[in-house]
Amino acid sequence: MQNSDDFSLIARFKDGDRSSFEEIVLRHQDKIYNLCRHMLGNAHDAEDAAQDVFLKAFQALPKFQPDASLYTWLYRIATNTCIDFKRKPIFESLFGDSGEGERLIHDQASDAPSPEKLYQAKEIDKALQVCLGKLSPKLRAIIVLKEVEGLSYEEIAETLDISMGTVKSRVARAREELQKCMKKN
Amino acid sequence: MSCPKTKLISAYLDKELGLGEKTAFEAHVQGCTRCSHTLEEMRSLRAAFANGERHPAPYGFATRVMARTAELEKKKAPWLAPFFVRFVEAAVLLVVITVGILAGKVMTNNSTATTTTNIASSLSLDLFDATPPGTLGGAYLAMTEVSHEK
Repeated sequence: MQNSDDFSLIARFKDGDRSSFEEIVLRHQDKIYNLCRHMLGNAHDAEDAAQDVFLKAFQALPKFQPDASLYTWLYRIATNTCIDFKRKPIFESLFGDSGEGERLIHDQASDAPSPEKLYQAKEIDKALQVCLGKLSPKLRAIIVLKEVEGLSYEEIAETLDISMGTVKSRVARAREELQKCMKKN
Repeated sequence: MSCPKTKLISAYLDKELGLGEKTAFEAHVQGCTRCSHTLEEMRSLRAAFANGERHPAPYGFATRVMARTAELEKKKAPWLAPFFVRFVEAAVLLVVITVGILAGKVMTNNSTATTTTNIASSLSLDLFDATPPGTLGGAYLAMTEVSHEK
């Protein structure tokens, strides 16, 4: 996923062109925000955490080694930020969820599903979000990277700086726990 | 009843099993209701993820991030900025005090005598009459002055 554009943007940033950072944000914001949204479960916290991710990246980018890929590096910052994220007081989380209008349902535009199917999919998704919230942060991070972001075991191992064996066992454990939880819901 | 082979389901779904292991597992699933059931559930779970909502970054997200990076840039060398501000404040205060002292000295040197006279006259009661004009007190004082003169 790393490409020459990321390299040239990083090089420009290191040469003092701060505007290149905005391009980096625009290129990666959707993935990072989506990861944070799944990790934290609400739009308000997700925005705060995603902004923190890019601020940390902004500060650390001068030391970034181009042998690592930018997106796995960003995912690593995002995962750690979300794991360490201190939740806002409950009322802020409840009333701050203003992301409803920005949601997109991932379906084929040419084959629009029926309202019943949409409703069903929404209910399943709700249950899935509830179950994700019940996982430990580490298991949640690994399953979101695998199933939501579509990273391979190797990429997850690089992102989280853990062994492939640990990735495999954690993915299996996360699935098992999710499956049990989904059955209950 | 549990089956030890259920542990392989996750790796099977992710195509992480070797060819031999994969074939053996597929053959096992045909005869194991537990594994085939769990496999179906895991597939549904994956489908739920695949069909789940994706959340794009909200409108104006990058602008807000850039605003925060600009703030961060301003705060670079944070100990230096307050020091500089304090230094300027102290310098301005010193200049004001010095100018005040110098101006005071110049003014007092030029008009010491006038100032002393002004102060003395301002403290004098000569401005006031001993008694209000046209009263008995005035007549009495005039009489006593005449008798003193005699």
